[in-house]
Amino acid sequence: MATILVAAMTSNACSEMTEMIAQIRRGDPDALASLIARYQHRLYRYLVRLARDPATAEDLFQQTWLRVYEKIGQFDVARNFEVWLFSVAHNLAVDYFRGRRDTESLDARMESGSTRGEYIASAGPDALAQLLDSERAAMLAACISELPPIHREVLTLRFEENMKLEEIAEVARIPLSTVKSRLSRALEGLRAAMESRFLGRSEL
Amino acid sequence: MSMNEHESVQRLLALSAAGVLDTQEQLRVNRHTHECDICRRELETWSTYAHALHQLPQPAVPVQLLQRTEARFLREQAAVAGRRHDERILIALALFAWIVSLADWLLLRGLMGGVLLVMDMNVLDLPIWSLASTVLVWASAGAAAIVLAKRQRELRRVL
Repeated sequence: MATILVAAMTSNACSEMTEMIAQIRRGDPDALASLIARYQHRLYRYLVRLARDPATAEDLFQQTWLRVYEKIGQFDVARNFEVWLFSVAHNLAVDYFRGRRDTESLDARMESGSTRGEYIASAGPDALAQLLDSERAAMLAACISELPPIHREVLTLRFEENMKLEEIAEVARIPLSTVKSRLSRALEGLRAAMESRFLGRSEL
Repeated sequence: MSMNEHESVQRLLALSAAGVLDTQEQLRVNRHTHECDICRRELETWSTYAHALHQLPQPAVPVQLLQRTEARFLREQAAVAGRRHDERILIALALFAWIVSLADWLLLRGLMGGVLLVMDMNVLDLPIWSLASTVLVWASAGAAAIVLAKRQRELRRVL
């Protein structure tokens, strides 16, 4: 019964998405606004994890939707829209990283006076408190932001977007084996960064 | 429990905690961690990381992000519409210039009996007239494009 209910809900969601895409193709700005509202949290989170800077994330967010509107005619509705959306954002992020030297450090102060790591760690409810205290959660977020962009990306797609390996491969346009090795290296890098931070603190 | 198997499984532990191993690999990990305390503890550590990663503090979406995105979308749409409008004007101007040029040629040929000498050249000869007209049309189109581009820049500054 539950399976039938889930299947029916998925089917409804798919037809709703297809209808929304059709409306956007017809040039309906309200349909686009609905789609942006639906994905704004997830897409912004993905971009802020990648870019680390909220202003850049916002710019990439806006560029992504402009590109979506421009290319929606080429989108195959049989495909997963979310994966396509994130792949559009990924391509724009790649262009962004290609166009600049990634010399910003985590400890660079933003306009608000906080660091990027603190910014990421400070926002939102403290769900991590069940597992780690807030200081450790901030440290984990800070350690993630120290990782290379390709590792940050694979971590956020797997653990925050709950994407399967195949979907991550489609977003990042890399082979499945590369996703696996990248994810493994990202986790090892994160653990090494966390352990060195803890070690650094205990030495103080 | 072979050393090779131990090392091989150890490399899979992070991915096991991430939930991305295929069935065969996961079975190997399960089997091995059932027997090996080191790998079991290691898997627990990776699971703690995986759990924490699933529950990272969320970055707050900036206030009015949706509104700013919509506003940028509308600006871009207006800019695209403006460019299309300018292109249409340029094409219309070029066509108009060609028509005027052809009409002038026909009129002058009728009035002058087909001969209008300028520096010993009959400018009413079709090749010469065409060449002169082309130069004039392209010069006019270039000037118009410069004017339109300037107007676009001013418009963008205002927006």
